[in-house]
Amino acid sequence: MIKKFIHQFASPKTFISKVDTYYNFIFYSALLIYVLSIIWGILFTPEDFVQGNSFRIIYLHVPASFLSQSLYLAMGICSITFLIWRVKLAAYLIVAIAPIGAMATFIALISGSIWGIPTWGTWWQWDARITSTLILFIMYLGLISLHSSFSNYEKADKLLSWLVIVGAINIPIIKKSVDWWSTLHQSASITLTDKPTIDPVMLYPLIGTVIGFFGLIICLVLLSSKNQILIREKNKSWVKDYV
Amino acid sequence: MINLIRLEFLKLRKKTRSWLGPIIVFLLIMIAYPLTVEFLQEKLEIGFFSVLWIAILISMMLATEDIFTEDFNDGFLELMVIQNSSFSLGVSIKVFAYWFLIGVPVSFLGFIFSYGTTGNFSLSISIFPLALISSYIFLNLFALGNSLSLNKGSVLGAIVTMPLALPVLIVLGKSLTALQLDINFLSFILLLLGSLSIIIVIIPLIVSYIIKAHLE
Repeated sequence: MIKKFIHQFASPKTFISKVDTYYNFIFYSALLIYVLSIIWGILFTPEDFVQGNSFRIIYLHVPASFLSQSLYLAMGICSITFLIWRVKLAAYLIVAIAPIGAMATFIALISGSIWGIPTWGTWWQWDARITSTLILFIMYLGLISLHSSFSNYEKADKLLSWLVIVGAINIPIIKKSVDWWSTLHQSASITLTDKPTIDPVMLYPLIGTVIGFFGLIICLVLLSSKNQILIREKNKSWVKDYV
Repeated sequence: MINLIRLEFLKLRKKTRSWLGPIIVFLLIMIAYPLTVEFLQEKLEIGFFSVLWIAILISMMLATEDIFTEDFNDGFLELMVIQNSSFSLGVSIKVFAYWFLIGVPVSFLGFIFSYGTTGNFSLSISIFPLALISSYIFLNLFALGNSLSLNKGSVLGAIVTMPLALPVLIVLGKSLTALQLDINFLSFILLLLGSLSIIIVIIPLIVSYIIKAHLE
């Protein structure tokens, strides 16, 4: 049943028609949520008692960090789907997500560095969380370079999927790095099990920015995957009709 | 299986450059290190272990430069797949042969250099198992990289698998601190051994799938 569902939904043609239908709705809602949350976070939340106004960079840093790891996990799920069920769309999604994941990780690293200057007094520290995030960024670049070095797409997709699965080991390391090592980076303020350690006044706009940023990145992934489909299926008649 | 082990050892022994090259590179890095700092014992000891781990990493990376290339080009890997023998076991044996002929000598040399630099025998003897385990982990990881980048040059393989080797370097650094402060060193050895036991099962399996993808 799962197999039937996956194959039905994962037809590139169906995927593109679904993207065309829902894209505008996702994009405009995500943009609205993000802009409103950013305005709320920047203009209407009070200054942090210790960090002053510099804390407001969390409205960019936290969503980017969250997305950098989530996108890798999404790639991992796509890799397993591709290798087990041979769903082509999953392979297209991996290729589409990789550069966007690299971009999100880059934003997380840069915004973290900018935040580090007023709070830690340094823009870089070889601390476990920061170093493991840098490793994730290099992993993304490695994935992109591996895929681009093969002209045979089918082979490249398989190799990429295997590497994504092996590289997924880095995700729990990044997540738990602040607990396993004594680091300069603070531990998580929001967890699934405990009460958030961040004040609700700052928390609500943060949740809004995470949701908004997530939606915007989803839109980027949809556009990029649509692009991949059109390139890879260019010889199919439905693509010629569509274009 | 015994025949396969014999064959892998024989093949590697005949390719002198493949096993001697990485050992020489390791030696050169360790010899070059004192030349880059003042010949003061204290200064030498500060960065010695970092250089040691990086030298092991680089020599293992070079060791796997063409671990599958020749077998791939002469059709040996294809033959193994056709014969339907356990391909992942063949990969494990190959990596083991490389570790035995390159990883073990490099680890022993690491111990000698460590003793020569620090003059501390108990510290240096503890470095030996760390070097043995880490070199085996590195060989497995770089073998994975080489399988991914077959016929695409060794640099690509190194680029894609180097990030996976970096957490091992972090653990090596931590275990050395534990060793020097005499706290919980054994737990780090166990952590590395645990990682190795997972890696030696999973990586050959994945490598075998990757090589099959190349052969399809």
